[in-house]
Amino acid sequence: MANQVKFSIYRYNPDTDKKPYMQDYDIALRDEDHMLLDALIRIKEHDETLSMRKSCREGVCGSDAMNINGKNGLACITKLSDLEQPIVLRPMPGLPVIRDLVVDMTQFFEHYNSVKPYLVNNDPLPETERLQSPEDRAKLDGLYECILCGACTTSCPSFWWNPDKFVGPAGLLQANRFIMDSRDQATEERLENLEDPYRLYRCHNIMNCVEVCPKKLNPNAAIANIKDLKIERARETKTVKKEISIKAI
Amino acid sequence: MLIQLLTNKYPGMRLWLSQRLSALMMAAYILLLVLLLAIYQPASYSDWHKFVAPIWFRLVTFVFFISLFMHAWLGVSDVFKDYIFNLKLRAYLQAIVDILLVTYLIWASFILWNI
Repeated sequence: MANQVKFSIYRYNPDTDKKPYMQDYDIALRDEDHMLLDALIRIKEHDETLSMRKSCREGVCGSDAMNINGKNGLACITKLSDLEQPIVLRPMPGLPVIRDLVVDMTQFFEHYNSVKPYLVNNDPLPETERLQSPEDRAKLDGLYECILCGACTTSCPSFWWNPDKFVGPAGLLQANRFIMDSRDQATEERLENLEDPYRLYRCHNIMNCVEVCPKKLNPNAAIANIKDLKIERARETKTVKKEISIKAI
Repeated sequence: MLIQLLTNKYPGMRLWLSQRLSALMMAAYILLLVLLLAIYQPASYSDWHKFVAPIWFRLVTFVFFISLFMHAWLGVSDVFKDYIFNLKLRAYLQAIVDILLVTYLIWASFILWNI
């Protein structure tokens, strides 16, 4: 049984369009079309000029992040039945549009790379893996699951205002993921790397990131944890210096 | 420790922590004020005069005003960092705010020491 669904979709092709516009679609969906991505694929059957990213279609790759009725999310895990019509789709805000729903994520990944999202460990490589206690491993829960879809960072006004300086919730969540890793040896450098007034401290806790994360993660808590650790680290440095000076006396 | 945290070694943390510390100072002062008002309940001019006259109260109130203006300075600077991208314009606006806040602080101290 056909089910008609109305859409209003952001269209922009820099080669042919002077400016972006919203295009309306009224599409007949099939019974097996449950998710927004199913509907978008159905639209593409009628209008193959519509551009978007997609891959795993099950909320793992993060490719099809977009602004859905004003809120960032993944098309593949958003139920059509949960959406009000007309369903308004726009590219994620705060990033340059390449075409239609496809954004240029270069800035996003530059910030991601800037937090060194990999283990830094200068010990000789063990024969097998670097071991972790179950407690230390548990500290990575809620951090390692990030799929880098960009929904959080592009819904953050602090990123909109300072996209070149503020690392953004996704990058900071990843920074915290490696700060919290018991196998990592670069905690000091990682904390130092976030010291200027922009990279970390532009976060004003408005929590859009928590609201939109399709994996239900909490970048805001990760950011708060980094701030706490920075204070703790500064206090420890002071204590160590004091001990050294007492010994010297 | 506090002084070290508020020095140039931690520019980002310094601003962030100062904002929270000044907020805590203001909260503590407001609690103290509510408590004192509940105890003394000044009703007339002479009651109020007696209430605010002690040196310790004026000093504490002066510290409150310092915290208030510091908090305001940090908040407005944050807003400028977020929204004003022209550095010259930002510097001008910041200078206006700085002058205003310093004037308010001097004004507040005049009021406090002329009771």
